[in-house]
Order: sequence, then C-alpha cells, then structure tokens
Amino acid sequence: MPEYNGMVQPVRATPQELSKIFVEAVPDEQKPEKAVEYLDSIRKKFRSFVMAMESCVKCGQCAENCHTYLGTRDPNNIPANRTELIRKIYRRYFTLEGRWFGKLVGAEDISLDVLEQWYSYFYQCSQCRRCAHVCPFGIDTCEVTFIGRQILHWLGIAPKLHATTAGGMYKTGNHMTLPKPGIIDTLEFLAEEVVDIYGAEIEFPVDKPDSDILYIPSSADFSLNEYTLMGAGLFFNYIGANWTIPSTVTEAGNFGFLFDQYHTQRSNVNKLLDAAHELGIKKIVWGECGHGWRAAKMYIPSLADRPVRWPITHIHDEIADLIRKGELKIDPAKNYQPVTLHDPCNYVRACGLNDNMRTIINAVTSDFREMTPNGADNFCCGGGSGILFDDPEMYQRRIQLSQKKADQVRATGIGKDGNGILCAPCSICKAQLYPMVEEHELGVEVKGLVDLVGKALVWK
Amino acid sequence: MSLIIGQILPYITITLFTLGVLYRLGRWVGPRIVHNITLSPWMKTNTAVTIRVAEEAFLFRNLFRFDKVLWLGAILMHFSLLNVLGGHVVGFGTLGKQFAFIPGLGITEDLSEQMSNLLGSVFGLLLLLTLLFLLYRRLTLPKVKLVSSISDNLWLVFLILLVGVGDLMRFFEFAATNVDYKAVQDYLVALALFKPVTDMPLLSNYFFLTHFLLVQILLIVFPFSKLMHIFGMFAERWIINRVYKDPAPGLPNVDVAAARLAGIGVPSGDAAEEGV
Amino acid sequence: MPCLTVNGVEIELDDDGFMIDPDLWNEDVARALASSEGISKLKEDHWKVVGFLRDYFKQYHLAPMVRKLCQETGCSLRYIYELFPSGPAQGACKLAGLPKPTGCV
Repeated sequence: MPEYNGMVQPVRATPQELSKIFVEAVPDEQKPEKAVEYLDSIRKKFRSFVMAMESCVKCGQCAENCHTYLGTRDPNNIPANRTELIRKIYRRYFTLEGRWFGKLVGAEDISLDVLEQWYSYFYQCSQCRRCAHVCPFGIDTCEVTFIGRQILHWLGIAPKLHATTAGGMYKTGNHMTLPKPGIIDTLEFLAEEVVDIYGAEIEFPVDKPDSDILYIPSSADFSLNEYTLMGAGLFFNYIGANWTIPSTVTEAGNFGFLFDQYHTQRSNVNKLLDAAHELGIKKIVWGECGHGWRAAKMYIPSLADRPVRWPITHIHDEIADLIRKGELKIDPAKNYQPVTLHDPCNYVRACGLNDNMRTIINAVTSDFREMTPNGADNFCCGGGSGILFDDPEMYQRRIQLSQKKADQVRATGIGKDGNGILCAPCSICKAQLYPMVEEHELGVEVKGLVDLVGKALVWK
Repeated sequence: MSLIIGQILPYITITLFTLGVLYRLGRWVGPRIVHNITLSPWMKTNTAVTIRVAEEAFLFRNLFRFDKVLWLGAILMHFSLLNVLGGHVVGFGTLGKQFAFIPGLGITEDLSEQMSNLLGSVFGLLLLLTLLFLLYRRLTLPKVKLVSSISDNLWLVFLILLVGVGDLMRFFEFAATNVDYKAVQDYLVALALFKPVTDMPLLSNYFFLTHFLLVQILLIVFPFSKLMHIFGMFAERWIINRVYKDPAPGLPNVDVAAARLAGIGVPSGDAAEEGV
Repeated sequence: MPCLTVNGVEIELDDDGFMIDPDLWNEDVARALASSEGISKLKEDHWKVVGFLRDYFKQYHLAPMVRKLCQETGCSLRYIYELFPSGPAQGACKLAGLPKPTGCV
C-alpha cells in the first residue's frame, strides 16, 4: 500500500530492481544515521543546496505559485515547507543554532519517519523550478529535492518507476527497454505510415556511420508519441540532412538526473558521448524531452568524463533557425485547429527555449492562443520529474497536480468544439497530459511541437 | 548594569558579530557551484545580470510581480530600515548637520537638524508600522502561517521591541532624558578609543540601555539567524542568475534549397498520380 | 510478493500485477489475469490482441507501438480500451504476460 501515516508514496523499487542500478539498500536501523552522513558529504559539495538551506526567510510567496500546493493544499507541499523537511535535519546536525536551540529554531532529530516524509513529498515535487523563478532570493527547491532523492536512493528508497526506468537505460540504452531490432522494426513501420499519412518517402537511418547529425529521440516516441518521431523524420529528410539515430542511446531522457545524478546520470552521459564518438558525427540534436534536454544542455559539460567535441542543440533550435531564415516551405493551414502551447518547465526556466518554440508554433499553426501565465511564468503539467506513478493513490494525486494546468487550458477556450490541440513538446508532459486531458474533460488532443512541424511541411 | 551593557558588552558584540559573519560566509564559500543551474530566459551580458540582481535586491522585483501587498510592506520596511540605520550613522556622526554639508543647497545647520529630526521621526514610525504589518501578516494569512516557525514570529516581535524603544526615546520627553546626538556621539567616540564611559549620564537612561542591549543581542545572534539573508540573497543570485550563451544553431552539410530541388522524399510516382 | 496459482503452477507477479517470468504464460494464466483486471470473459478479439502482443514480444523483446498494435489487429484504440479497460499497456500487455513498460508512459 503506497501510503505511510496518511502520506501518499510511490510504489517502491524492490531490492532486485535497485541492485540492477548498483544500489544495495541500507538496513532500516542504520538508515537515519547514514542519511545524516550522506547529507554531510553532499552539503560540502553543492553551494546551491547550502544557500537553499540557509537563506529562506519564509515569506510565503512560493505557496500560491506551486501547482503541487495549489492542487493538494497540503502544507508540506509549499516549497518553503518542502525544503523545511530537510532543513530541519540540516539545522539540527550542521548549524550552531540548531544544535543549541533545537525546536525553537525548528531543528529536529533524524528518524525513519522523517525519511518517509522525504519520500512522500520529494516525489510530489515536479522540480519545475517555478518557486526559484518567483522567490525573491531565487532559492531553488529543485536543488533540495534532487539531493533528498539522491540520499533516499543511496539508502535504498526509490520509486519503482524511476529505478526500473534507469535499469532499462542501463540494459538497452533507453528507458523503455527497446532492443535494436525493435527500434528498426518500429522505424520501418513508421516510414510506411509516413507514406500513407503525409505522402512523403522518408528514411530513419539507425547507427549509420559517418553521419553528420546524431538525433536523440525520446524512447517514449517509439510507443506513444509516434507523431513526434515521424515529425523529426520528416524534418530531417525535408532538409536533406545526413542524420542518424543511435541504437545504443535511443533516449533523450535521463532519469538519473531526477534521482541519482552521481552515478546513473553520469553513466548515461558517457554512453551518449561514446555513441557520438563511434558514429563520427559532427553535431548532436536533441528530441522533445524536457528534463532530458536540461540534463543534456546544462549538465553534460559538468558531468562528461572527457572534453565534449560536439555542439549540442535542440531540434526546436534548429527548426526555428531555418524558419527564421525562410528555408522551410510551410502551410500553417494544415494545422487549422485552435492550439495552445504548454511550456515545459525545463525548456523555459532552464534551457531558454521560450522564443524558439513560439517562432515555430506561430509559423506552423493558424490559430495559436497563448495560455496564461505562459513562458517562464508557466505552471507545470503536474508530471514533471517523472512522477508519472499509476497506482491508484498516486494517480489520484496526479489528477490534483494537473488541476492548475487544466484550468489554464480551459481558460484559452481551445477545447470548446472538442478539436483543440494542446501542444506539450516534452515526453513527460505528454505522458502526464494524455490521461489528464481526459480526466479533466478538456476537449483537446495532446501533441508535440515537432508533430505540428511535420504536418505543416510542404514538399513540392 | 551600565558597566556590563555600556562598557564591556560592546567589544564582545563587535567581535562575535564579525567572526560570526565571517564564519557563516566561509560556510558558503566551501561548497561549489557544481552544475550550471542558471534560470532562463538568461541574460547575455554581465551588465544585464547586474541590473537584474540590483532590481531584485533593491526594488524586490519578484515580490512586485507576484504579491503586491507583501511587496509594499517589505519594501517600505527595508527602505525605512535603511534610512534609520543611515540616520544613526550620519546623525550621530554630524550631530544632525549632515544636510548642511551638501554644497550648493544653502541649508543652514539649524534647518539640517530639523530635517534630520523629521526624517528620523518619519522613518522610525514607518519602520515600526511596517514591522507590525509583517507580524500581522504572519499571524493571519493562512499560507504564511503555514510556513512560519516560532523563531520567524519571535524575530519580528524582537525587532518591534527594539524599534519601539527607539521610537519612545524619539517621541517622548520622559524617555529621552540625557539622550541627544552629542551625548551619543561622545559615548561612541569614547568606546572607540577604549576610554571609560560608565560615568556618562547617557548610561543612566534605562530606555537607552535597553535599546542598546537589544541592538547588541541582535548583532550577536545575527550571524546565526535568517537575517543573514542580506548576504544570502546575493550568494543565491550569483548561482541562478548568470550569463549564458547558446551554441549557434545551424546543421552541418545541410542545404535545404538543394534538397528541395532534388525532390528528396517526394515519391517518384507522385507526379503521375496527381494527374489522375 | 503477490502470487497467482494456475493449474497448480505458482506464478509470481510484481506489485502492479505483471508477470515476473513471461515464459510461464499460457492461456489459463491469461484468463486468471483477466479476472484480476475485471474482464469476465476473453472474447476472440481479446485473444487476437494478446496473440499479436506475444508474437511481437517473442520476436523483438518489446511491446509494439500502440499504433502498430491497432493496425495489425484492426482494432481502434477506443476499441482496445473497451476490450481492456486499463488500456493497452496496463491491460493488454499484462494479460499477454509482457513486463510493465518503463519510462515516460
């Protein structure tokens, strides 16, 4: 039962599943002591964490700006209180005032109960960084929940979803455990579909040596978001690119980023660099994946074990660039339905994709309506950081977490006639919103941005 | 009493305050900025970053954007505080004649003293009122109540007491016996020169002693409290607001015009089909 | 760990009710899993979907793209949801003895 003292919790990974990603659980009686030990080593490394621990004045501004709190009204889901779950331990063990005055300054002894609190609330945080964006000081709660999740992982507490997804990456090079023959079969199938749907004959080269461009799709595109994969294929064929998809890292995401930056994230990064080296490519282009793009753009430089010789850009950067140069022939009337854009948090608050997404969507659709707030002020879809748990309790919570997004979409009026398009160019957003637009009865279909580009291209 | 608070404690206070602040800042310098976590849309020049951080630090930009009421309370409180602190320095430093030193304005020393008094009164009162407002907000607004701990409220109460006693001396004759600019200046000079001060009439005023004691407690606890956010603010901004330059877009060996001319992707039988 | 006993054989399931060892699958197991999903009787179309999933999985070691599943079986996604109320992944794949999908799904 994923509940502990009334707190919802994701289903946990089994010891076997953890073992596949090289973690052996710490026995329960040693967990509290070990947690403090791990916390001590981490606080000496990350200034972003220390500042979040030591700077908050509890002004309360983050409360109404967190979709998790808005959806659940659980006080511990206020970002200031969420960080307080770890700050109370930090104070107790690592500050003079906490050691001397204890409760008065909100310090608390570590215990298994506290760790269970961490597990519940750090996995309700989407790490969307809206709180950092609105905080008068810029305190980044995301840095705190990253570290909370990292410590829990070392103790042997991780969600089954995250652990098995990371295990899939280790086993096959992608989150969905697609082996190479499956990848090729799916892409051949999609190439046939493209002929039927778009009347274009395109190829999806896999592991093609001496390619110029390495395209990294999200593995979810091989299962649920086929139009995104087709859109990317259409785009690269349209511009006559010498491109390829690597079978060893067919994955734009990096779940390690979300709960195990020390090992899982780093090893995924190095897997990518190996593939780039072996295929002799000149540039890496990233597919639609929010957390994965942040992990790639902002973290590869500091996680790589070698100099990174290849520039890395997002497919939106490249499409927007060609649109600005007027090199793509586009018919926006092909996407005539009313469409709104859900800004993936990692794109707009961590990767600066704001303008490029709008350049594209304005060019490829004919009835684009902004939701409010949008851009860097946007709210998360409620699934951010991979909290896509589908056990009944956590699924209910996901509906609550997406409430704010549902209100925003409804306010645009795009779903009135039941033919609206909610463009959400990120695999986690898509996976969260596919069921959520049904739960909230929004009358919209969820699509990626590249999907719309693929459809709008004029071939002759 | 006057010996402890007025003569001995100040030296201890200054030492603890300085060492404490250095200790706390030292704790922040050790850990590094490991990954680039700058917030986007990012700024392209250091000037832009400086302007943004200054807006946040001095105009409370984010509070203004997302909570106007808190913004008004917070900025008035901090602005008054800044003036009150500045007023203490120049007021006691120049005996209220600070404005007469500004060349070209023709302000007499008398007028300057009157202005100094007026400004002191206005900001002293405003500071007290805004602190009361912030306390009221903490005690009544549900979302703020939910994040406040005991110490958050205690700090406000403490500051209200400290400012309150100061205001008493400013506004009420009975509290201001033996307290004037000159007396305080003499006292501070004597302290700085390590001269005995216990005989000074100033130290027989219990309002002054209380005010002075509270200030010293504040300074001693300051490095171990949330008041360090004055420095924390800049340290945090230094992490999340930095210059970032995107790698240039543009794909290697791509010639869209040539590809379209060659008809890549267009099925060969298409032209015939179209005629049907 | 939850278990299912079918014809005297003990079948291990994970917390979400997916089979740990896909090789132990047979039609009786599918029926038993179906009742746990609230499907009372497996019709011909159920078997068609399950059969395709198993064949595809045997060949490629992964579940086919939902789009491919629909095309090859001639069932619309809506119809698949009618057949398997918890959907192609949670419902159909579970009955076919495939492992629970991971990643952003």
